[in-house]
Amino acid sequence: MHSDLVISQSDGRPMYLQIMEQIRQRVAVGEWVPGEEIPSIRQLAVALRVSVITVKRAYLELEREGVIVTQQGKGSIVAPDPELSPRLYDQEFTEHLDQVVRLAALLGLTPEELAARLREASERLTTGRVTKETL
Amino acid sequence: MNYSMVKILIMKDWYLLRWAILASLAGGVISLGIIATGNKAAFMLGLILLVTVLIVAGAHIASTTMVTERKEQTLAFIMSLPISYREYTAAKLLANLLMFLVPWLVLTLGSIALLAYPPGKSMGLIPFTALMSVEILVSTCLIVAVALISESQGWTIGAILVGNVALNFVGYWVAHIASIAKGMEGSSVQWTPAASALLLAEFATIALILGSAFFFQARKKDFL
Amino acid sequence: MNDLSVQFQGVSKKYRHFTLDNISFELPAGSIMGFIGANGAGKSTTIRILMGLVHQDKGAVRVLGHAMPAEQAAAKLDIGFVSEDMRLYGAASLAWHMEFIRSIYPHWDQPYAESLLKRFDLKAEQKIKGLSHGQRVKAALLLALARSPRLLVLDEPTTGLDPVARHEVISELMAVLADQERTILFSSHNTLDVEQISDQITFIDRGRIIDSADKEVFLDRWRRLRLVLPPDAALPRVPGIVEIGGSGRLPVLTTNSFEPAMLSACQSTGATVQAVDSMTLEEIFVANVQSRREGQTV
Repeated sequence: MHSDLVISQSDGRPMYLQIMEQIRQRVAVGEWVPGEEIPSIRQLAVALRVSVITVKRAYLELEREGVIVTQQGKGSIVAPDPELSPRLYDQEFTEHLDQVVRLAALLGLTPEELAARLREASERLTTGRVTKETL
Repeated sequence: MNYSMVKILIMKDWYLLRWAILASLAGGVISLGIIATGNKAAFMLGLILLVTVLIVAGAHIASTTMVTERKEQTLAFIMSLPISYREYTAAKLLANLLMFLVPWLVLTLGSIALLAYPPGKSMGLIPFTALMSVEILVSTCLIVAVALISESQGWTIGAILVGNVALNFVGYWVAHIASIAKGMEGSSVQWTPAASALLLAEFATIALILGSAFFFQARKKDFL
Repeated sequence: MNDLSVQFQGVSKKYRHFTLDNISFELPAGSIMGFIGANGAGKSTTIRILMGLVHQDKGAVRVLGHAMPAEQAAAKLDIGFVSEDMRLYGAASLAWHMEFIRSIYPHWDQPYAESLLKRFDLKAEQKIKGLSHGQRVKAALLLALARSPRLLVLDEPTTGLDPVARHEVISELMAVLADQERTILFSSHNTLDVEQISDQITFIDRGRIIDSADKEVFLDRWRRLRLVLPPDAALPRVPGIVEIGGSGRLPVLTTNSFEPAMLSACQSTGATVQAVDSMTLEEIFVANVQSRREGQTV
């Protein structure tokens, strides 16, 4: 089960954060399901061509967040929590929302204006989908 | 001392210098041929050629294996192998001397054979030839040892010059030792105690040179 | 279970124009350490002492449990060494070199060697003198890698390689680490490579180790703080400042002891923290060296 993560060299963020984000995303989207085995620290390090210590750190942080569980001498698995995937997805959604709110504040939007913009965006998405389907 | 590593290193040098070995053998055989034609002038020419070939062979082999090793920077590659200075020194000394011994033996035995056959004519020259032949060996040992320890072109050339000069001096001196000089004119082999003493001294010098080589190599603190 | 693959304790070596002074570091088995330093800083000398090719004047060196240089023959049986100034025999072919190495080391892996030939795009029958610089480096690396040595010691392994070759070499080096008993020590100018794959990083400058730590620690500890100061305000006291740049009202502080608490400390003095930039290993190294050379550690 070697779905290769892709690390970008030009991404300014520390590599361990990139790794964490990509693993979280895979769990959120359901590609890696709760209880499933994930590559060992060394395997992932070799596959990504990234130092073992960086992957170790990512795994430690993910364990702290409850996303994965590392069993002594047996490798790591996705945390066997059925709520994990929706929870992570929701977490990411909340992060994006917070960012939108922050940007809205910079633009000086009122909560009502923000809500209106959200509705517009949602409509754009639906029409976009319809257009695609009719094509 | 890891003998299998020494053997591997010697074979390596032999392989890399195979053409030089063959060339020196060929050169030696040619000069032997010239000597064998029989007349005095040819004998002298052949002899000079012979000695030259031997010295060039010894010098070339010595400088190629050691000075070049340092110059071409292959020394780091060799020293990264599982050896210490001991194996390196033994391998270099043996590789050089064995390589040199091949043409040397052929030519020494060849010369003696030419002198001995047809019998009677010039067998008196045999002791002198033998002594000078071993003297060439001593000279080559010196060149090899200096090349090994100094790894420098300059010092090696110096050793070649010293060896050459020494050869001439010793040659002159030995030819004028009363007991030996008398025997040279004769048509039979006259081996004198003086000759034995000289031969012993020559071999002792070889042992001293080789021993010193190991001694100085052991004291090297920087191999690279 | 962490055996030390390499251990230097107080190692010194004096040359006429250069002194290696009090070098101490440890490299646990299964990890990879990158040595970063300017030319002439002492990386190569340290590596030669590690290999027993140069005898230290003072200090103890242990490699794979063997004291160096006394037990170098035994140690080198398990070490693969490639240095930038090392050459193979020009008149011989790569195949000859492979056979030569195979005859010496019991762990030569011929299938792996052949796959490396393909991956490094080398032809075994070619004579070494016909190879380009990059190809020679790859050839030397092949000879070292195909024996699966427990310790790989590499002096500038990617210097002079084109990007594709570098990529291949880095992949192979990481593949070595799949085995947690195997260790790599390499020196490089290429801070990107070191930053990418090293577990530990050691900075050398002018014969001294100026810093040695886990890579993540370096990347965590060093930051550039971009501040906006109110007029006539003094610089906030920030620990570990190595460099002060920018202008009077818009200072940029480089610190080697960053902690998130620092930010609120800055803000409490009235400064606005405009940005907190991480630093690449290269920036860290340069800042470290420059500040030492100018004698500025606040």
